Amino acid sequence: MVARLKNLYLYLALACLLGIVAIFVFDGYMGIYDTVYITAGEQEQKIEADSWSEDNGIWWSVGTNWGEKVFFRYEVDNRQFSSYSADIEVSVWRSQQKVLDLLSEQIQIASFNSGLLEWVVDTVELEPVPPEQTYEYTVIIKRGELEQRIILYINYTPKFPVPAR
Amino acid sequence: MRLVYILYGFGILFSVAGIGYLAAEYVRYLSEAGKLISLLLTVAMFAFLGKYFEGLGW
Repeated sequence: MVARLKNLYLYLALACLLGIVAIFVFDGYMGIYDTVYITAGEQEQKIEADSWSEDNGIWWSVGTNWGEKVFFRYEVDNRQFSSYSADIEVSVWRSQQKVLDLLSEQIQIASFNSGLLEWVVDTVELEPVPPEQTYEYTVIIKRGELEQRIILYINYTPKFPVPAR
Repeated sequence: MRLVYILYGFGILFSVAGIGYLAAEYVRYLSEAGKLISLLLTVAMFAFLGKYFEGLGW
């Protein structure tokens, strides 16, 4: 009886350990995860959900030339047992002032499913960049209360003279 | 025999260090409720282990 009780404590300790591992696996997987894909020029950047956490303090940035387009794909992964809905607003800001509204949509995602939104920043719609300068803009993605920021560097595009024929 | 205990010591040390590292790395992905339950389970695990070793006569 005493030996069985001793082993019972060991089994209980093992059960607690398994419980902790199960929580780390299950709770770590569950939740809402968003991923942003940015294509500027010929390069694609992937910004994963954990990169946005405030503890990391990471500000993502992308650079392009004035006159070019920057393509965004925003994927929201709903790893919950219930459906998820949120208002998504995307806008471009400069010096604390809104310059451009890019998107305003409500998404509804079924459980264990994902939703995709796409938009384009056409730099022609922004102020032309003078020679030797770079303008900084902030693309703000708002999902409900959450706000994610991407710095957009726009460089001056030199105009090459057209060769005479 | 002493060598066996030293090897046990290393094994335990590396296991604890490995689990500690993984926990520190992945705890930020847990929800607040998940963190609380994990903490309670950790306390319970050490308490049961303590009782087990007490029963062994340590």
